[in-house]
Amino acid sequence: MISIISIIEGLLLIVPALLSVAFVTIAERKTMASMQRRLGPNAVGYYGLLQAFADALKLLLKEYVAPTQANIILFFIGPMITLIFSLLGYLVVPFDSGIFVSDYSLGMLYMLAVSSLSTYGSLRSTAQLISYELILSSVIILIILLTGNLNIITIVESQRIVDFILPLFPLFIIFFIGSIAETNRAPFDLAEAESELVSGFMTEHSASVFVFFFLAEYASIILICILNSILFFGGYLCIIPVEFIIDILYNIFGINSSILEDIFVNISSSPLNLAFKTALLIFVFI
Amino acid sequence: MTTTTFFLFLIPVLGIILLLVNLILSPHNPYQEKDSAFECGFHSFLGQNRTQFSISFFIFALLFLLFDLEILLIYPYVVSAYTNGIYGLLIMIVFFLVLTLGFAFELGKNALKIESRQVFNFNIKS
Repeated sequence: MISIISIIEGLLLIVPALLSVAFVTIAERKTMASMQRRLGPNAVGYYGLLQAFADALKLLLKEYVAPTQANIILFFIGPMITLIFSLLGYLVVPFDSGIFVSDYSLGMLYMLAVSSLSTYGSLRSTAQLISYELILSSVIILIILLTGNLNIITIVESQRIVDFILPLFPLFIIFFIGSIAETNRAPFDLAEAESELVSGFMTEHSASVFVFFFLAEYASIILICILNSILFFGGYLCIIPVEFIIDILYNIFGINSSILEDIFVNISSSPLNLAFKTALLIFVFI
Repeated sequence: MTTTTFFLFLIPVLGIILLLVNLILSPHNPYQEKDSAFECGFHSFLGQNRTQFSISFFIFALLFLLFDLEILLIYPYVVSAYTNGIYGLLIMIVFFLVLTLGFAFELGKNALKIESRQVFNFNIKS
């Protein structure tokens, strides 16, 4: 039996993911526009905030073009596989201590499998993927050697003392470059080389098939940013040194109010930490 | 049914719904020019997009896949590295040795050499 709670949980997980994908696309277009001294999308909604939804609706009502020489089934199933696997990765993300959908003890392996399947394309894309997947998994090996566990929550909790970026800074650089290459971003975008090929493997896809590719690409960007922040920046752990601040307040200023302490503790343990770290990384990706 | 299994079902259903919305609501009137392969400027030739490529590229890709699998095979050792101690390390080293020897053999056999029709040095003619 499907219980109502599980339906709600699934929707609670997938709707914010899709929303964040939409807003990441707007953010990218806005930043690119300001780099090129354009305005960017600014007509739909305030400050162009609803542009992504308008685009998605428009693309859903467009005509689909299936080339005569393509394998029709593969042509439609390929983008769907891409989308499905890039969204499946959100299943094992822990958002806060105690807030997670599933607590796999093999979470890291699941994440690797899903993220490696989630990209598909022509010969170029395959070549790039296969080679950079190696880097990602060999960096993750070293982190697992430190934590001794494949569970993502354990990995995050073992960073309570110090985030892994401090002892493993060179590894972070390697992992970051690998993840940029994995998501086909700017210096590594030979799968979708905009200057030589028109849009790479997405040229002949139109309408909702194109939407699938688009969603999948940005969903996998967000997912890999979350993975970066989980592995190296301590995931949902607090950014602000709460105990330190409380100590200063108590010892220097002589303030000892439990209300203040409550507020700080509430701030320190919220999913906003993960969101903040991920947002920073996404900004670097753009 | 737990949330996990429900989630595994939810996402493919979401994809299928999006696809069906498009297939039902959108107009569809193809003609030959629209359905032909996308190419700039001229009519595309039939069957041009199924060209053959050299088998050595495939061998290269296979090699990468092999080493990816190798790393996945190390994962169980890495998780239990603290309890396995020196014995596990020895076994891992033997494993690596076999793989490295295989790779060196492949290199020595010139299996990874991609044949090129380009002439690099115009002075020396082979």
